[in-house]
Amino acid sequence: MTIQTEPLKSVSDIERTTLMTFLSGRIASMLGGRRWRRLAPLAVLVVLCILITIANPNFIELRNLVRLANSAAVPLTLAMGLTFIILMGSIDLSVEGTLSVAAMVVVLLAANDSNGNDYGWWAVLAAVAAGTIMGLISGLVQTMLRIPSFMATLGMWFIGLGLSVYMLGGSAIRLNDASIRDLALHRFLGLPLAVWVAVGAFVLAAIIQYHTRLGRHILAIGGDEDVTKLSGVNVTRVRIAAFALAGFFFGIAGVLAAAQLGQSHAVIGDGRLFAAVTAVVVGGTALTGGEGGVVNTLIGVLIVTVLANGMILLGISPYIQQTVQGLMIIAAVALSLDRVRLKIVK
Amino acid sequence: MKDSNGLVFSGRVSRRTLMLGAAAGAVTLAMPNILRAADKPTLVTSIRSLSNPYHAVWKTGAEAYAKWAGLEHVTLVSEGNSEKGIADIKAMLAKTNGNMVLNSDPNDTPDARPIVEACAKAGAYVVTQWNKPADLHPKDFNPNYVSHIEFDGIASGKTIAEILFKTMGGKGGIVALGGLISTTAAIERKKGLDAALAANPDIKLLDFQVANWKSTEAFDLMGNLLTRFGDDIKGIWAANDDMGSGALEALRAENLAGKVPIVGVDGIKTAVDAVRTGEFACTVTSDPFWQGGMGLAIGYNAKIGKFDPAKEPPEHREFYGKAVLISHDNVEEYYKTNVESKPEIDWNDLWGRVTGAIRA
Repeated sequence: MTIQTEPLKSVSDIERTTLMTFLSGRIASMLGGRRWRRLAPLAVLVVLCILITIANPNFIELRNLVRLANSAAVPLTLAMGLTFIILMGSIDLSVEGTLSVAAMVVVLLAANDSNGNDYGWWAVLAAVAAGTIMGLISGLVQTMLRIPSFMATLGMWFIGLGLSVYMLGGSAIRLNDASIRDLALHRFLGLPLAVWVAVGAFVLAAIIQYHTRLGRHILAIGGDEDVTKLSGVNVTRVRIAAFALAGFFFGIAGVLAAAQLGQSHAVIGDGRLFAAVTAVVVGGTALTGGEGGVVNTLIGVLIVTVLANGMILLGISPYIQQTVQGLMIIAAVALSLDRVRLKIVK
Repeated sequence: MKDSNGLVFSGRVSRRTLMLGAAAGAVTLAMPNILRAADKPTLVTSIRSLSNPYHAVWKTGAEAYAKWAGLEHVTLVSEGNSEKGIADIKAMLAKTNGNMVLNSDPNDTPDARPIVEACAKAGAYVVTQWNKPADLHPKDFNPNYVSHIEFDGIASGKTIAEILFKTMGGKGGIVALGGLISTTAAIERKKGLDAALAANPDIKLLDFQVANWKSTEAFDLMGNLLTRFGDDIKGIWAANDDMGSGALEALRAENLAGKVPIVGVDGIKTAVDAVRTGEFACTVTSDPFWQGGMGLAIGYNAKIGKFDPAKEPPEHREFYGKAVLISHDNVEEYYKTNVESKPEIDWNDLWGRVTGAIRA
């Protein structure tokens, strides 16, 4: 499923490791080594669920599981897009900007309390298209102007944010289209439609990653871009496609966020970037690229969501919740990545 | 290989970028000349951002006053960056030669001092709102530092809590959503809630959580709180309306909207609408439209000599403004005068909303 990059690394790497990484590597290999590492995020998730259930049995109530799924819907859709970018070893900081543009487009084109538009589901289509275009531009800027993805997408973040501030006039605008709001309010088989959309996004992302050429090329670029290029892959085209794909998912997430909150304002994306990156990394996808995937991200999103839910159920004081979150992130990443194989830590 | 290519390429691009940058710079430099007024003072509003409804309304208030007084008006936005906020004000002072009136919502508490000192040095008149260090006083900068305006967060937090308790029938459990922990407004509003709780022993605070002023965070938080307390939640206290509306949507997803009363602070449109439909019990607003306009009015009247700041009583120099309560009783009237049309404010009534000097 994932590309084995291990044989490419030289043996001398191990000699360079420091005592600490050597120790943690030892501990990991005692527990079963690489195979265990791959399952580490899943193990963290299971242990978390068990601990929270012991402390507060309400956790496994059906109603709570539905709520968990509901609050995971937007982060999951976002993280699907981001996974492809991080797999390439790049980063997409435009998450919040693209999301707010998509939310702005859907609210302004569907029935709302600010103008007379009422295009119904065409608004949703336009919003997803707007997200895809934002991603496409990010990709073009990065490859054609040769600007690092960090700066290119940082620029797109602010462009998107500025655009939605301007279009929304700085205020919050209500979404009055009942059929779009049904994404959050209507339930199918007990789950809000937004959850089904997120599940659909996951399936789509999984198909792209594991069953298409694009997915394999993205992974290969993350593993080693030069080798990929020498193998005849059109790296530029893959990169542009990956950023457009990410924008597509951000666009869907924007529609879901607007449907859930019943309104759109420019700061609707606030904090989503950090949450999405955290979920991807906690799931075991390496920021250096080439390792991990959308299944990892699914688990990462669930860990982050369960943790947030659990801290409320356990009644942990808001004053220390962030600290707990930070500890969990470090723990999850330390367990899931093989530090011994890292040549450089930067 | 890749790196050296990149280096060569970067040199080629940077020359073009330089030209573009220079052209853009020239355009920006040329722009302010259009904005410059001949000898009438320029009105300057300095606020944090235009992406939140609160400051957007502030700006419309400022523009309404400028239009009424027939003066030039410029809005500076700090984007939450203190250095940018102060630098922009200094640039404005240099451009107007100090012939300006500033109404500032300093980005952070310490910012007020450099802003006031720069204005006093240039001879401009300044009114600050919300944030200033405790040892910075208008009376130490006569006549340039005219007034400082705040709104009593304790009173707001207490008023909405009392209305919430009344709506609940005086007993039951509530959950509270607080703002960003370190901000004065969050701390004060929570104090007000605590005071109201102490006076109502039959009301139980089930949990106090922080949603950082954001509806998105409140939405997720509320779902989790519903799991923990379920039907025990009989009311929701939110430190601002945005969080309250996030909580409302979480209730709506569970078919509970309108069954559990919510209260908030700020008076944003979503909350006013929710008060009309009965989903919110009340909201209270500092009236940013008034803040944006009256801050300029007070400064401008001092500047043209209508009153001498040095001779004004202390409660005109550092005061709490009167907050406007929007509840079921007056929401229709408020909607008609403030939402459907622009509010009519008597800009000559400088001290009409003074409720008292700020607590030391």
